[in-house]
Amino acid sequence: MKMRVTTIQDPEFSKFVERQNLEQLPRDEAHSDGEDDTSDGEDDTSDQDMVDSNKGGSIFLKNNVLSHSVIESWSEQVMAQQNFSVLPNLLNAYRAACHYGSEDGFDANSCQRVKHSGALCKITMFMLQESDGIFRRMLGIGSSSCKIESILGLKNTEKWKTVKPLIKSYLRSTLFLLDQVTDSEILVFSLTQLGASIVLFAAFPSLLRRLIKASLLQFICGQLEEGLSHHLHFSLYNVRTITLVVSNCRDTCLVKAYKAFLAHCKIVESCNLKHLQFLVDSLVELYSLDVPNSFIKSQVSIQHLAMILLRGVKTKKKEILQRIYNWQYTNCIDLWVRFISANIRDHDLQALLYLIIQVINGVAHLFPWPRYLPLRLKCIQMLNRLSCSSGVFIPITSFVLDSVEYIGNSKPDATLGKDFNVSSVLKVPKQWLKLKDFQEELLLSVIELLSIHFSQWSFHISFPEVATIPLIHLRQFQEKVTAESLRRPVKRFIDQNIEFVEKKRDEAAFSPKDLESVESFVQLKACGGNAPFVQYYESVVRKSLNQDTLKKTRQASQRILNLLSFISLKTQKDLFIS
Amino acid sequence: MGKKRKAPIPPQLPPEVTEEEVEVSDEDVHFVNENKDYAKLLRRLDTDSITKHVSRVADKKDDDIEALYEKRKKKKSLEKNDGLEVDPVDALPIKTLGGELVYRRVTKKSEKAEKELKESEDATEDRDGSVVKLTKAEKRAKTKKGRKEAKKQAKEPVKTEDVQENPQAGVLICKDDDQNIVKLGLLSLSAVFKDIIPGYRIRLPTEKELEMNVSKAVKKMRYYESTLLSSYKAYLQKLVVLEKKPSFQLVTVRYACDFFGRKLCCTALKSLFTNEGKHGGEATVEAVQLITDHVKIDDCQLHPDSIEVFLYLSFDEDLGKSQSVEGDDSNNRGKKGRKNSEDPKKWKANNKKRSRKDLQEKTREEVDADLKATSFAPDALDRKRMQTETLSFVFQTYFRILKHSTRSTVNRSATNDSFLFGRFGTHPLLAPCLNGLGKFSHLIDLDFMGDLMNSLKMLASGVSNSESSPESRLTVSERLRCCIVAFKVMRNNLDALNVDLQEFFVQLYNLILEYRPDRDQGEVLAEALKIMLCEGRQHDMQRAAAFVKRLATSSLFFGSAEAMAALVTLKDLLQRNAKCRNLLENDAGGGSLSGSVAKYQPCASDPNLSGALASVLWELSLLCKHYHPAISTAASSILTINTANQVYLAATSPLQAFKDLSIEQESFNPQRNSATQNRKRKNPSKSSILSGNELAQYSGDKEVLKKMFSEHFTVIRDISENESLRRELNSTVTSIRLYEEYKQQKKRNAKRLKGKREGKKEKKVH
Repeated sequence: MKMRVTTIQDPEFSKFVERQNLEQLPRDEAHSDGEDDTSDGEDDTSDQDMVDSNKGGSIFLKNNVLSHSVIESWSEQVMAQQNFSVLPNLLNAYRAACHYGSEDGFDANSCQRVKHSGALCKITMFMLQESDGIFRRMLGIGSSSCKIESILGLKNTEKWKTVKPLIKSYLRSTLFLLDQVTDSEILVFSLTQLGASIVLFAAFPSLLRRLIKASLLQFICGQLEEGLSHHLHFSLYNVRTITLVVSNCRDTCLVKAYKAFLAHCKIVESCNLKHLQFLVDSLVELYSLDVPNSFIKSQVSIQHLAMILLRGVKTKKKEILQRIYNWQYTNCIDLWVRFISANIRDHDLQALLYLIIQVINGVAHLFPWPRYLPLRLKCIQMLNRLSCSSGVFIPITSFVLDSVEYIGNSKPDATLGKDFNVSSVLKVPKQWLKLKDFQEELLLSVIELLSIHFSQWSFHISFPEVATIPLIHLRQFQEKVTAESLRRPVKRFIDQNIEFVEKKRDEAAFSPKDLESVESFVQLKACGGNAPFVQYYESVVRKSLNQDTLKKTRQASQRILNLLSFISLKTQKDLFIS
Repeated sequence: MGKKRKAPIPPQLPPEVTEEEVEVSDEDVHFVNENKDYAKLLRRLDTDSITKHVSRVADKKDDDIEALYEKRKKKKSLEKNDGLEVDPVDALPIKTLGGELVYRRVTKKSEKAEKELKESEDATEDRDGSVVKLTKAEKRAKTKKGRKEAKKQAKEPVKTEDVQENPQAGVLICKDDDQNIVKLGLLSLSAVFKDIIPGYRIRLPTEKELEMNVSKAVKKMRYYESTLLSSYKAYLQKLVVLEKKPSFQLVTVRYACDFFGRKLCCTALKSLFTNEGKHGGEATVEAVQLITDHVKIDDCQLHPDSIEVFLYLSFDEDLGKSQSVEGDDSNNRGKKGRKNSEDPKKWKANNKKRSRKDLQEKTREEVDADLKATSFAPDALDRKRMQTETLSFVFQTYFRILKHSTRSTVNRSATNDSFLFGRFGTHPLLAPCLNGLGKFSHLIDLDFMGDLMNSLKMLASGVSNSESSPESRLTVSERLRCCIVAFKVMRNNLDALNVDLQEFFVQLYNLILEYRPDRDQGEVLAEALKIMLCEGRQHDMQRAAAFVKRLATSSLFFGSAEAMAALVTLKDLLQRNAKCRNLLENDAGGGSLSGSVAKYQPCASDPNLSGALASVLWELSLLCKHYHPAISTAASSILTINTANQVYLAATSPLQAFKDLSIEQESFNPQRNSATQNRKRKNPSKSSILSGNELAQYSGDKEVLKKMFSEHFTVIRDISENESLRRELNSTVTSIRLYEEYKQQKKRNAKRLKGKREGKKEKKVH
């Protein structure tokens, strides 16, 4: 403007400017054209029809500066009088709000008109809150539950044709908003609202893809801060609903979620343990939605893991071994272990169970060295979990006692630094092995693992035999170890065990081949709930419960429940013995 | 080492020996005396060849040696004239009191000539000192050479220059007709190559590199490298070719060993041993002897491979049999053996060393006897002799290793930080030694058996090491191997010995407890189970029951592969011992069989005292729940062993069962047929992190949300306002810049006043 003034004053200068502009113009235009092209390319082809539909509205809009009152009246009209004619205006305003601040030419114009952030706020809130209901009313479908078929069935009706552009505009704007905002509270809110109207997405596959992408992004990358975990829950919820509702998207959803998990689980530190835990739980949840389908996926994945392992076993090359003893591999196994143990009771997953047990055994077999003790302990943990959930017998005692072997006479003076956390390492530095703290920690986890194993079979008729060899080894260990801090827990353990083993030496009236009576014996022994022993396991497990991690807690509480149920059966004891 | 190298080489020749290398031992003298045939060649020593050679070298050497060269020429002509022949015996030098070596010559030889000869020697030494790279090689080559002629030819490639000039020269020698010359040529070449091989990696230049322009020095270097490489290649090829010819095998193998690692050396030795027929066995004897010496010198601290090659030896048993038909000798021998075996205790008392000596004596006697008996069959006799010799060396080595292992190793392991300790334990040779004993157990002399068994017993129990450091303790696998060997020895001798094997059963019984799946070798355990429990004689009922119980218990502890091996053994035991099947039944009367021990003692260390007959195989009921389908089926089939007649498992051995189930064999292909069906959900809803619709409603505070939104939009508005302001600022700045440009143009157009005014105006505006 100011330049215009000067040019007027000086005609010669204006000539000069024109000349300059002529030189510059072609360049600029070419440049801006390029930009436009790329931005167009990002939008899908169906963008055109939406703009058309909005034309009437936008003309109308241009004459009005959006203010709080205008929006108020519009929403009043829509909500109270069921007058949907102003809906395009609202949608345009909403779109403007969502695109507010972005470089779009159309929005730049409209932004000029929306002066108050309050108005923008109002329109956004209103649209997010109400539009799902509005659209449902317009289409005449039920409020809460709605099947995808009903939407697809509506596709050819006249009603749909009028509403479709509006819905599309709303969904697009909201998705755009999701990309724009970073505030988690807003994200949660908009994700929830989108989740509510997920059926509407069914008609727009391209938008659905964008939604999945956005949800997964939030789901995976979101930080698990205090009090914000529900944020993740919502994204998970979205994905879950998508999988439930839109069956043809299920595969992509699962695959994408798994891939995102893979990318995310490479590093494990004490700070992201919880988040990872949550991710694993959610993935298990997702995969459990349709077990027969995910069975195939998990089989493929486990087989892939097995192939890597097999190559490692055969070649023993360092680079392949490195592919195995990393967190990604371990977390993958863990994921499938959880998936299997979550579903094995209700589904026939025996083939998977066998596969994964072999893989875990193979990993433990491949890394027998003491430095990999944490990895081995994890393997045993997973085997325990599988055994508990499936009820099959998996021998773990030899693995456990292998670990005990490395617990010896530690250096009493040397202690570990403050950042000692076995759960976040797979391989420990050599000097740790000699440290007292580490050895104590190791022993505690060994005892915990053993007691989980024993408590599972504590009422089986062959329990004394299960405990025989471990007991012999533990006694040897006790003789070997001099440090009192290491001795004490083991001593207790042995005492309790012997007591139980001796008590259990009774005469049953059947032979091992009568499997049915063996089963009933399990019940019988359950009735005779051997208090000190059970209590000991309980105490061990409770100790670990106090220690940390969600996972352990669950496992432990499960065990306590089981044990308690055994005890409660005690009253029936006399009946059986007679 | 020194001994090893010297053995096959003819003794050195005096005239060229330099003082510091003189090592003329009695042995050498003896050798020369014995082998006059070889010594005859000495005649040619100081004739044309040597002179020619020496002169050649001198010629190349230095200018001042030119004079010497001239003198030598004279000497040569002198000698030619004389046409002397030196008596082989006279060729030996005499050391004077002054320490000088004097070579006796035929008296006709003039003093002058002799002096010149000495001078020439000096010259040679000088030369040795000056050729930096090759002195050693040359010296070694010289000292090692038995014959002048060979030396003359073989020396040619010794010089780097020669190698450069004619890379094939050295290799060409090896095509000589005379085998000895070829051998020596190979030897010297190997020495040369060893010395001149540069410390860096060399390869032939690529085509690209060849195209590039390089300095003269580099070119020269390259040429040298490539000739070196090609001649080395030719040499290796020659070695490979010669290796197939019987007479060269030993030599070529030795040189190959110099160049390549242990592995190739072992393969070479293996092929040497397996192709014994081609070279008649002499090479085998020599090689075995060398290894024996090697073990002795290094005190059993060698790589296991060095002993493992013995396993590839083959001993022809028919050799003796064919003779027995003719000479009826082996019958006598058999009797003799049995007679001795009646009193094995006598031998137990003796220490190893003496028994070894005895063994050697015995074999010698036997050989003599055989010699007389079968003198009309020289070929077989010869082979027999060599075989016996080889065998004695092999067993000598084996017994040395055994003895070494039984010895307490406390002080030794403390001081000896052998690099082998890390990978193979303190007894690196024990495993291959035991393997070998197992393989050749049928060839062990019966007199010797008692001692062998005793030491095996000691090793199996690990008693001797109990007080020593844990590192030097024998591993479970090694102890299991001892048991296996003991049984193999017994079996292969048709149980002729009346040695009590109970001790080994006790060891096995305890070793099963100590076995750890990943630490110890499962194959060994499976083999032990197979040999000790599945094969052989019927077992005592108590013992069988004890093993049955222990195997069942430990299969709850082992991994799947070991458990399977244990179950297979268990089944075999049950099938053969009908009474043990009582373990499968839980009757109150079962105690009647249990004998002295009424109650089962799981921790007992003696199978006979465990009272296992009183126990019940409850383990099997848990094993039926085993995750591995093969094990659970095996367990249930054992449970029904009394009622059903199954064929499954009957054919497999524990070893096979172990291999089938080991992780290496796992294909990770699940059985699909069973998996596809029946995977429907039985109870559809389960507890989940999120349950249903309750979370569909946003639970947060609406007011907070409103605030968030307004903040969001405020921020965005601020940003956009900021942006628009910036845009404006930019346009203003550009316009000012434009104007300034315009102003300058105007100045050039000499319209100053107006321009200035405009400028002022413009400034005011802003």
